[in-house]
Amino acid sequence: MAKYNYDKSVLKGYGVGPFLGEVKVREAHIAAAPAEEIQSIFNANIIAKKLHPSIVFAKVAKVEEQPLAKIYTLVADKEKGTEELPYFRAGQYVSVALFMENGEFISKPYTLAGNPKDAIGENSSYRIMVKESANPHASGFIHENWKVGTEVILGTPVGDFYHNGLRDAKKVIAASGGSGITPFISMAYAIAEGIEDFEMTLLCGHKNWEEIAFRDELDELVKKCKGKFKVIHVLSEAEHEGCEKGFITTDLIKKYAGNDDYSLLICGNRAFYDHMDTVVAELGLPRRRARFELRGEFGAPSNDPAYKGDENATYKLKVWVKDEAHDLECNANEPLIVAIQKAGIGLTTDCRSGICGWCHSRLICGNVFIPESADGRREADKKFGWIHPCATYALSDIEMEVFPSF
Amino acid sequence: MKNYDVVVIGAGNGGLSAAATFAKAGKKVLVLEKNNLPGGCATSFRRGRFEFEATLHELCQMGKGEFQGAVRTLLDGYGLDVDWVATEEAFRSIVYGDNGFDVTMPADVQGFIDKMEEEVPGSRAQMTTILELGRMLSDGVAWLAAHNNEPGPLAKVEMMLKYKDLMKVVPQPTDDVLRKIGLPDKAREIFESYWDYVAADSTKMSFAVYCFMTYTYLTQKPWMAKNRSHEVSMAYDERIRELGGDIWYNTEVAKIDIKDGKVKGVELVDGKYIECANVMSNLMPTVVFDRMVDPAEVPEREKKLIAARKLGQHPFTVYLGLDIPYEELGFKAYDTFVRSTGDTHQQFLNSANIDTHNDYCVTIINDAIPDASPEGTCMVQFAKFYTDDPFENVKYEDYFKVKDKIAMDTVEHFEKVAGIDLKNHIEEVVVAAPVTWARYLGTPKGDVYGYEPGTWDGMFPRVQSGHKNDHTIDGLRFCGGHGTQMDGYSQAYLSGAEQARYMMEEM
Ligand SMILES: Cc1cc2nc3c(=O)[nH]c(=O)nc-3n(C[C@H](O)[C@H](O)[C@H](O)COP(=O)(O)OP(=O)(O)OC[C@H]3O[C@@H](n4cnc5c(N)ncnc54)[C@H](O)[C@@H]3O)c2cc1C
Repeated sequence: MAKYNYDKSVLKGYGVGPFLGEVKVREAHIAAAPAEEIQSIFNANIIAKKLHPSIVFAKVAKVEEQPLAKIYTLVADKEKGTEELPYFRAGQYVSVALFMENGEFISKPYTLAGNPKDAIGENSSYRIMVKESANPHASGFIHENWKVGTEVILGTPVGDFYHNGLRDAKKVIAASGGSGITPFISMAYAIAEGIEDFEMTLLCGHKNWEEIAFRDELDELVKKCKGKFKVIHVLSEAEHEGCEKGFITTDLIKKYAGNDDYSLLICGNRAFYDHMDTVVAELGLPRRRARFELRGEFGAPSNDPAYKGDENATYKLKVWVKDEAHDLECNANEPLIVAIQKAGIGLTTDCRSGICGWCHSRLICGNVFIPESADGRREADKKFGWIHPCATYALSDIEMEVFPSF
Repeated sequence: MKNYDVVVIGAGNGGLSAAATFAKAGKKVLVLEKNNLPGGCATSFRRGRFEFEATLHELCQMGKGEFQGAVRTLLDGYGLDVDWVATEEAFRSIVYGDNGFDVTMPADVQGFIDKMEEEVPGSRAQMTTILELGRMLSDGVAWLAAHNNEPGPLAKVEMMLKYKDLMKVVPQPTDDVLRKIGLPDKAREIFESYWDYVAADSTKMSFAVYCFMTYTYLTQKPWMAKNRSHEVSMAYDERIRELGGDIWYNTEVAKIDIKDGKVKGVELVDGKYIECANVMSNLMPTVVFDRMVDPAEVPEREKKLIAARKLGQHPFTVYLGLDIPYEELGFKAYDTFVRSTGDTHQQFLNSANIDTHNDYCVTIINDAIPDASPEGTCMVQFAKFYTDDPFENVKYEDYFKVKDKIAMDTVEHFEKVAGIDLKNHIEEVVVAAPVTWARYLGTPKGDVYGYEPGTWDGMFPRVQSGHKNDHTIDGLRFCGGHGTQMDGYSQAYLSGAEQARYMMEEM
């Protein structure tokens, strides 16, 4: 019996000649082709490069004072090689790299608070708002050092806190606490420009009337959006005509949401998120209808009840960068990235919240604590002992390998 | 700085496999990867409570036990610590429209034949013949691999005796052989569903290659990793280090230094220079010779070869995290080909631009790995492969809009085809256009399939050219989905091992 049970007649007419000649045929095809210029850059590559250059050089073009904050307008630093700042989605942020005089390095996310359209073209610009108190270390440095003409290094725009027509409702209720207003300003511009197609009611939480940043600009935007954008100021510590008094509550959201399907977008600080967690639960919204911007730094590890370490301890931290080792110390109550960046190692994180994965690093030995709510690692990272140092705390001496961008 | 025997550029599937081969053989290897993690295409990403698989639908040539495939042997040989999962289903294939069909084919030879007979009465004899040919081809490919794909003069005689039929069908297009065998049209269209995975439609794809691939999916099953392909990539990372290799992430190579046809070293984007006489490039020749080599050192043959070839495919992918359990979704299948027509050549033509391309693959990982996402949720992935650059005429400032529109159209199209509601369940969504792939991998137009493996440049002629003919620069070799074995995970792994073996002969 034949080894294979098929009717040989089906192969009638096929010989082995073509097989034996295949390499020759291939060579003939190659020989016949023109020895022309090789091209590997096409429109898709050009768009990719413009949107995601490996590094963005910018310069401060304008500094404006706002209540409790400064607003910086940044433009492309053409002399350094950045012709145009990358375009972005309204609601995204950039990571700002700060190199301090004492050799420390720090990277911080700031929401792009301007009109996305301004990023396009010859005179492309961004606008970011830097609060006075957010992080005294980074913001203090910026407030003190950034003047018109200061050179700045940025990452490319990132983040998922933007309206996505596939996922989000056409009607958006935005809730902001303090400087959490920034992504919504950008979204309002996008609505006004016709870049985005949704309706937004912004519930804007502040202490009092005087502290509201961008107040006049918001009024202008409401006009420009022709009914698609509304602003309600919600003042917690004062009364003012036309404003709501108190906090952004379940009832307040219900009042402005009406009966339509809506997406709730939330941006503020950790305290605001804790408050809004309760509100969202009371509203009974499915997760897809309530979106929070990054939670930001986790802060002290003891914020997580699962933490059993000694927050006052300091540990030895050995950090490998390529073929060099750095012997450092780290504080148990700070995420590992703090000590690493303080040593001037250019390990970047876009989010500083454990989520973006940019600081993906290899733990060689030692014990660490990772708060569950800030554990944005992939499953296999857990299996193979990789960590995101922006949300990882030492519980012992640590040896690790990092892959800096600078 | 340490001295390295070999530098591998790119930690994609091909680069990782090559690096593991070098390290296992005791060579000092350094892997340089521009991204912050290994894998290239073989990766995953987190959004909210979901971890999405970026690419892997299924691995070919895995199997186990009696049906152990070449790729399983290779990966086990490296000692990779991966939790592997198989599925019992080959594919679901839907041709929508009036004369369409909707069939789900099992990953089992007899089951496949039976199911085909049920769908297309009168196909049994032909289908049996085809899969018997598949069995012969599978033995033949294994025999060739055992001879390192380069049988010597004596072995060639043996090959003539044993595998003459393989030699006969290698140069024949899939479509022609199936027609000659008399497989009814509908059965042929079902059988050809996998074409999207091989970048060349059935009028160009070698019957031997296509039939072999399908047969091995049926006997060895389609496989994936429990924790997404990132688990495989991380397992490689771990093994390469255990075997003494080094891997540097966030490290982009700018230049390969070549003088008088010989590799001298590589230069990183930050200016660092690494001296080394051997470089394994996981990047395709088009990229290396256009951007990374002194133009005076680019061999004439490389220019001609690149000019003669056509790029592979350019993917558009949509990843959805849904707040509904898979069981309630109303659509069942692990991997589904949604097709505008059963004519693969027409599909190929339609796939060239945004307006006409309405063919895509839908993968629901929870079908194979029920707990891949939290309880009460599931993940659905769409992959639409363009045969040309759909973004060629898209303006920079319109990019987001165009991307959103394709994603929306694809999801809504599938909602109609499947008669289900997705949009009211989307908790997370990520969209990757060819621009995204171009950014992430650096390939022209976001190509992920290397070069079109059409007849003259198919797998067999490439494999036979991969040792000598295509080797033009001393100390430089290429591996990956653009390599001898064609596109795909398994192929990239095999190509990495193959090219590393050739390189070590010369070291
Ligand atoms: C949506 C989709 C689905 C797919 N599904 C499947 C499937 O189900 N089964 C299957 O078998 N195949 C599938 N594939 C195909 C498969 O993923 C690819 O063919 C394969 O992974 C290619 O591997 P590669 O080795 O060529 O490397 P790539 O993945 O292209 O990796 C190359 C690496 O080199 C790095 N690099 C680039 N430039 C530089 C530089 N200058 N310096 C340093 N590093 C650099 C890149 O960052 C990257 O990590 C799919 C692909 C896609 C896109």
